[in-house]
Amino acid sequence: MLTHRVIPCLLLSESRGGLVKTMKFGKPKYVGDPINAVKIFNEKEVDELMILDIDATRENRGPDFDLIEQLASECFMPLCYGGGIRTAEEALKLFSLGVEKVSLQSAVARNPGIVREIADHAGEQAVVVSIDVKRGWLGKLQAFSATGVKPGQSDWRQAVRDAVANGAGEILLNAVDRDGTLAGPDLELIREASQIADVPLVAVGGISSLADIKAATDAGASAVAAGAYFVFQGPHRAVLITYPQYDQLRALWSDAE
Amino acid sequence: MIPNVQTCSRCIMDTTAPDIVFDEQGICNYCSDFLRKKEKHLPFDENERLRRLNGLVAMVKEAGKGKKYDCIVGLSGGVDSSWSLVQAVRLGLRPLAVHMDSGWNSELAQNNIANLVRGLNVDLYTHVIDWPEIRGLMEAFFASDVIDVEVLYDNAMLAVNYQQAARHGLKYILAGTNIATEGVDIPSTWNWHKADKRNIIGISKRFGGPRLKSFPSLSTLDMVRYIGVNRIKWVSFLDYLDYRKSDALEVLQRDFGYKPYAHKHYESVFTRFYQGYLQPYKFGVDKRKPHLSSLIMTGEMTRDEALERAAGIAYPSEKDMEADRLYFIKKMGWSEEKFADYIARPERPHTDYPSEAAFFQKLLALYRRMNLKVGRLVWK
Repeated sequence: MLTHRVIPCLLLSESRGGLVKTMKFGKPKYVGDPINAVKIFNEKEVDELMILDIDATRENRGPDFDLIEQLASECFMPLCYGGGIRTAEEALKLFSLGVEKVSLQSAVARNPGIVREIADHAGEQAVVVSIDVKRGWLGKLQAFSATGVKPGQSDWRQAVRDAVANGAGEILLNAVDRDGTLAGPDLELIREASQIADVPLVAVGGISSLADIKAATDAGASAVAAGAYFVFQGPHRAVLITYPQYDQLRALWSDAE
Repeated sequence: MIPNVQTCSRCIMDTTAPDIVFDEQGICNYCSDFLRKKEKHLPFDENERLRRLNGLVAMVKEAGKGKKYDCIVGLSGGVDSSWSLVQAVRLGLRPLAVHMDSGWNSELAQNNIANLVRGLNVDLYTHVIDWPEIRGLMEAFFASDVIDVEVLYDNAMLAVNYQQAARHGLKYILAGTNIATEGVDIPSTWNWHKADKRNIIGISKRFGGPRLKSFPSLSTLDMVRYIGVNRIKWVSFLDYLDYRKSDALEVLQRDFGYKPYAHKHYESVFTRFYQGYLQPYKFGVDKRKPHLSSLIMTGEMTRDEALERAAGIAYPSEKDMEADRLYFIKKMGWSEEKFADYIARPERPHTDYPSEAAFFQKLLALYRRMNLKVGRLVWK
């Protein structure tokens, strides 16, 4: 087992017919069929996978259970699903289909109690609260929402504290300005968040190399998720699914072991 | 399956190829054609080969002066195309690697491509066809019961290579096509003309498939334009390299962590299933025969060895075959009944649907009669 998890984060967009990768939460580029991507990550022996439906809340609908069931049955590793979950019932249905964790954002803004409700049924480790953080035009970090649902708490630090107090087992912290840029993680953000949160922190946004992964965990992230790094190659952003070798990842943290 | 009544005494082609004929020694027209082709297109000695190779490299470099790249190398992740890329770089060329993703890439292919482009520091361009679109086109092709479902992949692959060459103003596409591993022809009834865009559109329309949007198609006239106007040359690059598959495989594994797979073209899960299951069980065709026959003819494999490798199912095990079948059904969203029905239905010829193959043949005949030199390299 590695000391830190490294998680491919795939974005589902049914309006675009499959998986996409965004740039700063915009400009979705089609990268392929989710079932085939899951199959490839299986064979690469990835230890956890995250699939986020970026259209569901915007389209005011729930998760696509049929598709998630197909993906979960193809997926040999633990699967975290996020996007469009509105009620505890929907989360429990996802667990019954083989999903291991659910990631919530808009639902928490509407009803913070949903975290506890799900955690009471499935355990805190199964509930991830995702917090998107974006720099304002003066450079000030603020909680952000891409879905049109206003964040319940615009102070991102308070949002992290609230999530933990509500029973979140994990915080998914997304640096919106780094999304898809391959420009490196927002280490300052990770450092601060990891001091506030006493649950595992999954950092996502900007990862472009093994060194970035190491820097993020050094800054305090328990796990690192990445999108573009695992689906793009080179200056043409050519779609190519990759994942580091186990030995490469192990070597990153060998000093700590 | 079509029963086999006679096998060639030199290669392993047999009477499952409908137009096969044997001479008095039991030698067939397929391997005899191979020798004729080899004599016509391959250099007769090592000096001549090197002269042509150096000539080609010089021309590619000259044409690429001042450009970011000097040629296109199509890269599927298979041995032939991987070796083309390695050699292009080693010869000092600056290729842009181009890959076509139709939604069926295997982990092996992705791994091999990643190791190669990173190890060689080559830029990659990938064209991904929207899965709902290619799936719709495949559905229509299955419904039509034509043999060559791979026309879809091959047509798009050719189109992407030519498109990228044109976009970057490049004159050379160095392709993994070659005589050494492909010189024994696939019997004409086993596949279909690859630049038949009309056939693709016609079949899709007839069976309620999608219009072409993200599918990068190639028609006969597109080809004429790329060859005649853009002056792009498709070069069977491996024919210049004294290509031996087993040697190439050894170097690729040693230097690039290359992962090999069981049979030719098995880098795509669909191609593997199509050649290993659909073709034998629906169409009575086994492409291992021409593929392995080529290796016999170049002396890379004995006939006994080839017979052994072509015996039994075209998968390492029944379990692997069933795993691919279940994956195919799941990915296409088929039921077992639908699958059984497809396998049981008789084949229909491509000519039952709109086609531009005859038009292409006419143009090709004209091209040959006029002895035009565009689109290919001619060595004196």
